[in-house]
Amino acid sequence: MVWLEEEMKELIKFGLILGIICLVATLVLAVTYEVTKPKIEAQSKRGENAALKEIMPDAASFNEKEIGGIKYFEALKGKTIIGYCVTVVGEGYGGYMHLIVGIDQVGVIKGVRVLDHQETPGLGSQISEVKPGEKDPGFLRQFIGKSARTVEVGKNIDTITGATISSKAVTSAVNKTVNEFLAKMKR
Amino acid sequence: MKTLGEFIKGLWRENPTFRLVLGLCPTLAVSTSVVNGIGMGIAATFVLVGSSIFVSLTRGIVPEKVRIPCFIVIIATFVTIIDLLMKAYAPVLSRSLGMFVPLIVVNCIVLGRAEAFSSKEPLARSILDALGMGIGFTWALVLISAIREVLGNGTFLGKILTANFEPPLFMILAPGALLTIGLLIGIMNYFVMKSKARVK
Repeated sequence: MVWLEEEMKELIKFGLILGIICLVATLVLAVTYEVTKPKIEAQSKRGENAALKEIMPDAASFNEKEIGGIKYFEALKGKTIIGYCVTVVGEGYGGYMHLIVGIDQVGVIKGVRVLDHQETPGLGSQISEVKPGEKDPGFLRQFIGKSARTVEVGKNIDTITGATISSKAVTSAVNKTVNEFLAKMKR
Repeated sequence: MKTLGEFIKGLWRENPTFRLVLGLCPTLAVSTSVVNGIGMGIAATFVLVGSSIFVSLTRGIVPEKVRIPCFIVIIATFVTIIDLLMKAYAPVLSRSLGMFVPLIVVNCIVLGRAEAFSSKEPLARSILDALGMGIGFTWALVLISAIREVLGNGTFLGKILTANFEPPLFMILAPGALLTIGLLIGIMNYFVMKSKARVK
């Protein structure tokens, strides 16, 4: 039984060493996470605010609200509501994408912005890429002025070459979520 | 001179991408634009240097039988740190690199250097080796992504080069990456063989 004890001792020693390394790693990560957390949150908030201003340039302020699980912003000019900015979650080629859609009272799109996505760089990522010399993403510009209820890839929205799934994901997510949102608002 | 050699070998003689042919997965995936190439290169260099320091420092403590889990914990820690830092301070770059930053954990260059070098060598030499490998990886990425961005997108660092050029899309896609890397490795092998023949 001598060898077994030896082996047990070795196992415990290895476990302890690995445990200590993991403990140190956890501590370091916990500190980094705490330090960067407010920064990361501020960055995503800043991205959201910039997107809101871009799709609703006329609005003076935004009021965050929620209806039936959909987060949205009332776009206010003075005290009148001039439209809504609805947050949309779509399922693209590489994972979830978060969008924000500006609509007026009857559901005509004022603008669409992609907050984050995991689409293929160089292909699907073009959904939110701004071509040199232009001001806003060309793909998303197609949505402006169209009713959110009727947008459909192939009908009134052109797909990006080589990124059919990403293009469809954006379009159908906008269509579905805005329909849902408008139905809930009517009630 | 010998110590300096540890740094220089990663740049050319043992370049991770072209000579050791390691870490090709992220190389294929992120070399679509020069900005991505630079960002990925810097992130990987940070992880390489950070993990080399700790692998080298703990080389007397870590038993051989559990060395791989120890290396992976150390590497994963540095990858998570750089991922969080990029999200906090370089959100645009972090968004465009996306999944590939967390995937540095399984980049064979990092584990390869831990296993083959820093687990056996003293601190200073390990840092030099990691720096050399990191910079070697970075310049390889920048070269590949420059070729692909110019040919496949008609831009360099996001700026349009000429309006009269319809870029072939496949250079931005995976086949373009394989073609570019294959041709570059071929060209380098040609020169290496030529210089070897001259020595003989």
